[in-house]
Amino acid sequence: MAAQVVGMQHLERYRDMIPDFDEFLQILATPLPLTVRVNLLKTTANRLKEHLDRAGIGYSELRWYPYGLRLEMDRPGRMLEHLMGHIYPQEEMSMVPVAVLSPRPGESVLDICAAPGSKTTQISMHMENRGLAVANEPSAARIVPLRANCERMGALNVAVTKFDGRHFPRYQFDRVLVDAPCSSQGMARKDLKVLDRYSVKRSLDLHRLQVEILHRAISLVRPGGVVVYSTCTYAPEENEAVVARVLDRARLEDVALSGLSGSPGLEEWEGTDYGGELKRCARYYPHQNNTGGFFVAKLIKT
Amino acid sequence: MWADRFGLPPEVLSGLAFLRRGRMIWAFSGQPPDLPCETVGLRIMSLRESPWKPTTNALQLWGRQATRNAIHLEEEETRRYVAGETQELKAEVEDGYVVVLYQGEVLGCGLYARGRLISQLPKERRMDEGGQEECGCDMG
Ligand SMILES: C[S@@+](CC[C@H](N)C(=O)[O-])C[C@H]1O[C@@H](n2cnc3c(N)ncnc32)[C@H](O)[C@@H]1O
Repeated sequence: MAAQVVGMQHLERYRDMIPDFDEFLQILATPLPLTVRVNLLKTTANRLKEHLDRAGIGYSELRWYPYGLRLEMDRPGRMLEHLMGHIYPQEEMSMVPVAVLSPRPGESVLDICAAPGSKTTQISMHMENRGLAVANEPSAARIVPLRANCERMGALNVAVTKFDGRHFPRYQFDRVLVDAPCSSQGMARKDLKVLDRYSVKRSLDLHRLQVEILHRAISLVRPGGVVVYSTCTYAPEENEAVVARVLDRARLEDVALSGLSGSPGLEEWEGTDYGGELKRCARYYPHQNNTGGFFVAKLIKT
Repeated sequence: MWADRFGLPPEVLSGLAFLRRGRMIWAFSGQPPDLPCETVGLRIMSLRESPWKPTTNALQLWGRQATRNAIHLEEEETRRYVAGETQELKAEVEDGYVVVLYQGEVLGCGLYARGRLISQLPKERRMDEGGQEECGCDMG
């Protein structure tokens, strides 16, 4: 379709940035594998696998994360396991930021851009329902599915707040996740139309919002605490360029998950120098692991 | 009610804070934060009904440990339950709210009265409606 060709052209600017660019373009036309997260608050991986075996549903494990499964079926919403809250349909790359954040039971954690709650419920699960997880979302309409998902997953330690992340009130957390609003180019395998809506101007507008939210996140974490910044887009304006703006207040740590292939963050782009530390961020492209696309940075407040 | 009606071991609820908001009881596993919140924790019980009614989500979380007033369904009975239907069923339970299970896992809440099991599964959770899919970050 003509519209999709237009959308694809917005990706041409990444030809030299993305390794094996033609393979990258090719995989965008193929559907995403279905992945789900096992909800340990309500079941165990073994119990779930037993039920899948009994129902004759094929699955395979993820190499890098013990709580995700690829399923060989296409309507997870119609499974009893979904009704019971034992699984959460979640794209494989979307499980990465919380794995990097690595929240622990008893801590206080903020998910500052939370709806619809894929990552909030994953945080709550890593915390074994103990401690405090605050799920913040400014959009009233998006709070509805956020709340429903938290309750369906059996989260007992989640409080929902409704602030603009840039003005979240003073508090001190051990960890903060900024899964920022972005241009979503990494979601193209789900819906190619995200590419049509793209423009560099849009990235630059989002950049400003992202920097302000990330600055606020750093103010809200204790010294030595962790802030993870993630997006599902490729645009450097929304990724490295955002992280580079806060490096006077936090330092970067490597994002390395064994079993997952990725590319380092960019040190420079179109003549702008972001600095050598930026290679500590991770870029995940769809053709590297047969997934969606994601960017992740792990920051420690200094 | 959780201990009396379902025989849940007391440890299940220990360490939880209970908050009443309107006619719902919420459970939270810690100290509610000193922040203006929309909601805190999980709705576990509605006081709107008499007797008080446990929520689907709370039963799914705790119901496997129920030692009484639990009904284990067969496949066809499960299909009817998840479709939201009422069915004739013989069960060794008292009239009132019961935990409904299939293959050892909790489906949700049922109302048992005069030999009939009335599904209490909320409309949006019923099987013919499909389910919520993840909607990633769609800002368009
Ligand atoms: C990428 S989505 C989050 C996805 C979510 N973390 C998940 O995994 O389910 C970004 C979210 O940020 C929200 N958002 C938009 N502007 C915001 C702001 N100023 N502060 C905080 N959140 C904002 C959007 O409404 C959207 O729900």
